[in-house]
Amino acid sequence: QDDGYVRLLRRQVEEVFRDNRMIAVCQYNSMPDEDVVLMRHYLRKHNIEVKFVLNEIVRPVLSQSKYKNLLPLFVARNILLVSPETKAKEMLRVLKGVPQINLLGACIDDTILSRQGVENFAKLPSLEASQGQTAGALALLPSQTSSLLQRGSVHLMALLDQHIRRLQAGETGSPAEPAPAQSLGAH
Amino acid sequence: MRGLLGAVVGVRKKMASKISVVLRPVKSIVVRFCPFESNVESTRKFLGCINHKKIQATNRNCEVTADVRHDGSEPLVDVMFADGERLIMKGANLTTIEMLTALRSRCNAKELKEEQKSKKKSP
Repeated sequence: QDDGYVRLLRRQVEEVFRDNRMIAVCQYNSMPDEDVVLMRHYLRKHNIEVKFVLNEIVRPVLSQSKYKNLLPLFVARNILLVSPETKAKEMLRVLKGVPQINLLGACIDDTILSRQGVENFAKLPSLEASQGQTAGALALLPSQTSSLLQRGSVHLMALLDQHIRRLQAGETGSPAEPAPAQSLGAH
Repeated sequence: MRGLLGAVVGVRKKMASKISVVLRPVKSIVVRFCPFESNVESTRKFLGCINHKKIQATNRNCEVTADVRHDGSEPLVDVMFADGERLIMKGANLTTIEMLTALRSRCNAKELKEEQKSKKKSP
């Protein structure tokens, strides 16, 4: 009973899920057309495309894929915001100015997130920054090891230096103090 | 703009859009739901209907907000009226039409009261 158009729409939905890293599902409440155009424009700037979807098309496609858990989202009127990148922060910023679109959840890098999950994801630092932080934390301990090992001999050198200075001061007139020898003996 | 009585005829899908509600006595509406639950359809459709331009046009100052959660809580519609009264509708076991009709009847009742009050003041 599947006619060609329905099959085409289903294939398009499959492609959308296959070719994009971020797929956000939002409820669409009626908006004036100019606002839809504006929103599309701002999202396009961040490489995010707006797709209007029909539940009757999406539901059968999802129920047979690994995105089964997104099924409950597809009631009432929905749109998908899809992107090959994962610019969640920019997407949330645009959506804040559009109260008639309500973010319900998203699938980012094959991970299903709730609305709160998307907001947390948006707050994460970039991948490069996280890698830098990890590398820095890992490098911290070994960098302390060499100074720890050297501490004993450095302290000894400092004490010997002080001893020499005092002996020299003693030769030029002031009495030599036995104190440095005692502290040396303590080690 | 008064007397917007929608024709409540038949029991089919597009009926919800024919129910007109006058939001003048309403201060704010918060629609809360967990989209990943399975009992939220009527509440989400209610949110869609309330956002319709005809209903929004009856009161531009009425804030309609959607509170999207993920904590297993029940779907809820929280209506705050200008006179301080509050209407809470638990959407898990209500249909969209029932919620819209309930809201409409309360709004109409308040409108009537307001009119009677203003008639008493200026005979």
